[in-house]
Amino acid sequence: MSHSLHRNGTVENLQNDYTFYARASRFVNREGCGPKLLRILEIILAEKPVNFGSSQAGKSVKAGLDPTEYAQTLDKAYGVACCFSDKGAIKRALLKLKEADTGISIVTGGLIDEIVAIAKEIGITPHTAFLSLGIHGKKALLPEEDVLEMTTMCGHGLVSFNLARAVIKKVRSGEMSPEEGATLLAQPCPCGIFNSDRCEALLQECRDKAK
Amino acid sequence: MRIDPEKCISCLECIDYCPMKCIREGDEATVIDEKECVECGVCLRAAVCPTDAIYMPEEAFQYPRSIRREFSDPGVQYPTLKQGGRGTEEMKTNDVTGRYRRGEYGMALEFGRPGTGTRISEIEKVLKVLLKMDVEVEKNNPVFLLLKNEKTGEMKPEVLNEKVLSAILEFKIKDNQLEDVVKTLRPVLAEVDTVVSWGLATRFAPDGTLPVRSRLAQIGLPARPNAKINMGMGRPIVEA
Repeated sequence: MSHSLHRNGTVENLQNDYTFYARASRFVNREGCGPKLLRILEIILAEKPVNFGSSQAGKSVKAGLDPTEYAQTLDKAYGVACCFSDKGAIKRALLKLKEADTGISIVTGGLIDEIVAIAKEIGITPHTAFLSLGIHGKKALLPEEDVLEMTTMCGHGLVSFNLARAVIKKVRSGEMSPEEGATLLAQPCPCGIFNSDRCEALLQECRDKAK
Repeated sequence: MRIDPEKCISCLECIDYCPMKCIREGDEATVIDEKECVECGVCLRAAVCPTDAIYMPEEAFQYPRSIRREFSDPGVQYPTLKQGGRGTEEMKTNDVTGRYRRGEYGMALEFGRPGTGTRISEIEKVLKVLLKMDVEVEKNNPVFLLLKNEKTGEMKPEVLNEKVLSAILEFKIKDNQLEDVVKTLRPVLAEVDTVVSWGLATRFAPDGTLPVRSRLAQIGLPARPNAKINMGMGRPIVEA
């Protein structure tokens, strides 16, 4: 599941977009990891992520996932996913996780230089990076860049190009606000890594360009 | 997925939700093109159908069509691997598994991403080339289970025309193979009938840098400025 990799965007509009994933390994520490995942969930929820969810539950908080019900499923889970829009929040969450020392692997997505700088500030040593080398193959199949910047925030590809196009059209015509559009586009992504704050900003930009 | 024509009122609300653009207005009801449908279930979960006309038919669970759902709906566990998703733990748990060590790279070619989908036949085209290059293909990835011949990359014939939202070819190379692998793969990827998102997993150097970034730039395949990073907080940690 490389779902939080390959987010399209510019250095400017990828700022303040941080994905977070805690993952127990089935080869090392998955057995009995439920209480640790619950502790991790408590830590990240205290820092108010933009979105969080679960592919097992089939929906994110933006699509109606109840945090209490979600917490009760963690006994059978092996990961916790969410996203943040605030650099201070992800930094505080990582610092608390360092102190909690759960032993569960933590993966953070974002601009490389920003993440490395955060790690240095709080005294942790990044281990491995997954770099995106771009899109190859039959690129004629791809949509407009503004559509890609929104839809690639669901790494499982569940937010359709046409849904993004329809939302952009409604936002430009004033039929829908950027916030409403971002909430609608976040719903097909069950893992909760679709950053609706960033999507709202991208929709505002689309609307402003059309004026 | 299928739409019950007796229930459908042709409101067309579901059409835009389909990632494969395979729902269209029909003469008497909205219809799903089952050749193009990847059984991801997005149209059903969107819950926009006012008459509950959308459903998953029994055929979606029967092999070989069943692989569509297993690769396309992240809520479905691949039965043999007992994990959801299309790939593996890859670098997410590398701090405790040590799957990628210094001096080697993990590579992931995700076919059909972003948003186009892929036939399994497209993966076979690339895999056949890869296996001639002495790379280590990841056996815990569900794509490996579709192979008929592990040495040649030939896939099981019954799955070749199955379409999935995306599927990931994961493999590992040695540091000194990087330039050759990139040079060989680029023209092959240019010919496939889908898009491919390419990822590379690498350990940070002891000084906290990623030397492969400048090397990739030199060979004309620069990494994007954004990535995902294993923060090294798993325990017990594998340092090598």
